[in-house]
Amino acid sequence: MAFIDRASPTLTEILLKLYCADKPLEIDHHIYEFGSVEYHIQCHASNPQVAYLSISLPSLCQGLQSDQLSNFTIQRVKGLCPEALHIVDPPKAGYQLTLILNFNHIPPPTKDHVEIIREISTIQSVVLSCQLREMLQNVDFYKPIKFACHPREPFFLIKQPQRIIAIFPIRFRENTDVIIATAFFQELIDVGNSDKWSKAPRCSWSAIPPPELRGEAFEDLSTNGGFVSFDISSHHIEGKRLDKILWNLLNFNAYVRYHVKSTKGYIQRRMRKKLKSLVEVLHPTSIEENEQPKKLEGCRYMKKFVRSSKSKILKRRWGGFSRQIKRIRSRLQIHGFGRFRQKWLRIPKFRSKKYAKLE
Amino acid sequence: MASTLRLYLTCIRNTLEAAMCLQNFPCQEVERHNKPEVELKTSPELLLNPVLICRNEAEKCLIETSINSLRISLKVKQADELENILTKKFLRFLSMRAEAFQVLRRKPVQGYDISFLITNYHCEEMQKHKLIDFIVQFMEDIDKEISELKMSANTRGRLVATEFLKQFI
Repeated sequence: MAFIDRASPTLTEILLKLYCADKPLEIDHHIYEFGSVEYHIQCHASNPQVAYLSISLPSLCQGLQSDQLSNFTIQRVKGLCPEALHIVDPPKAGYQLTLILNFNHIPPPTKDHVEIIREISTIQSVVLSCQLREMLQNVDFYKPIKFACHPREPFFLIKQPQRIIAIFPIRFRENTDVIIATAFFQELIDVGNSDKWSKAPRCSWSAIPPPELRGEAFEDLSTNGGFVSFDISSHHIEGKRLDKILWNLLNFNAYVRYHVKSTKGYIQRRMRKKLKSLVEVLHPTSIEENEQPKKLEGCRYMKKFVRSSKSKILKRRWGGFSRQIKRIRSRLQIHGFGRFRQKWLRIPKFRSKKYAKLE
Repeated sequence: MASTLRLYLTCIRNTLEAAMCLQNFPCQEVERHNKPEVELKTSPELLLNPVLICRNEAEKCLIETSINSLRISLKVKQADELENILTKKFLRFLSMRAEAFQVLRRKPVQGYDISFLITNYHCEEMQKHKLIDFIVQFMEDIDKEISELKMSANTRGRLVATEFLKQFI
């Protein structure tokens, strides 16, 4: 299963469209992702080489995080493509970050330009990862902190010496989803606890809230899918791997949901297939009937007959018909019978009586 | 096939062969009506004793017979929650497409997962032995399909879990 891509596919598509356009395009798009991330892309036909990209992100953690982006985050965003990206200060009203994207500084259309535009489209993941990284590095917290990348799917991080515990409360609307997800968590724990994956963070699942979440609000602890915990050691988040790990943690809920959805689709496909085979058992003849009948070779005479024209067919029919009538009406011809008839079977001629007309 | 399952299916096959002696019989209550007596149960003299065949507590088959119709109700085993939802999902899916089978009842009899209603007209249209074969094959296939679905769901889960953990190494 593919991971949720760090680069926004829609943003990549629009930026590529702008970059590769033959004639100047006038674009003013608002894109929403995950229900809470908003992009605003603007490009004027008068100046097609420059695009304005604004982004608004949900607050990861209420209370701990300021509305403005930190210098560290801004530097990381600039680092995506230092030549082509310029940060507008102050950003547009309603957005946290506004960028000017200069297409002139992106190399001419080759394979590289797609990579650069894809890199620019990862802006959301870069900002979120930076925010989370800053919090993990700067704040010393032993009590759980609630993060919400997606408003309805919060998760908790607990920083302890040498390790971070991530706890995900799992909620689903349907009971079916809960069961499929639970089966997945069981597999996740089995795989994670095997020797082969000893370097991966230890994960566990429990139906009741783990002891680390004691004292949290009741609405955060009420779930129908239980709690999944990851025990992340310091060696998991060293260097460049941190960004990747943080992005995976931020999207763990979405990852599970995607798995549930695709499993349901798979089940549906299999059921459709099975339905066909079950019906075939009951009605094997109906299927055979539907098959195209084999071509049968008729006799040559019939083929000729079919090929002849309509008038010829009519003539032939009329010929046959007239022959039949003649046969019916023809007298029996017996040799010498005419003379016999003249001599012996002469019918006397009677004078026909004429009736006088009454006056 | 497990020997217990074979015995269970053979028992059902033999009972069906004995029970499927249906004939046309007009309704005794309403003139010019012809209704399946096993459903209406208006005249007790037209009904035979129902036969219940159990493999275990979770798997059973009820065969109710009348003069012009036969009702077969099945309860499929559901060992755990995943099997339970898969069975429910699959049998609901089939019930929603009952017209494809002709003999499948849209709603199962209470306490069972799926029901079939066979009338004398079905026996005339489709051959009796084919109907019996279909019922037995259906029971075999349902069990097999649910086990396979469960295994596939778990295998998919394992693969997805492996992919997720790969990101941390």
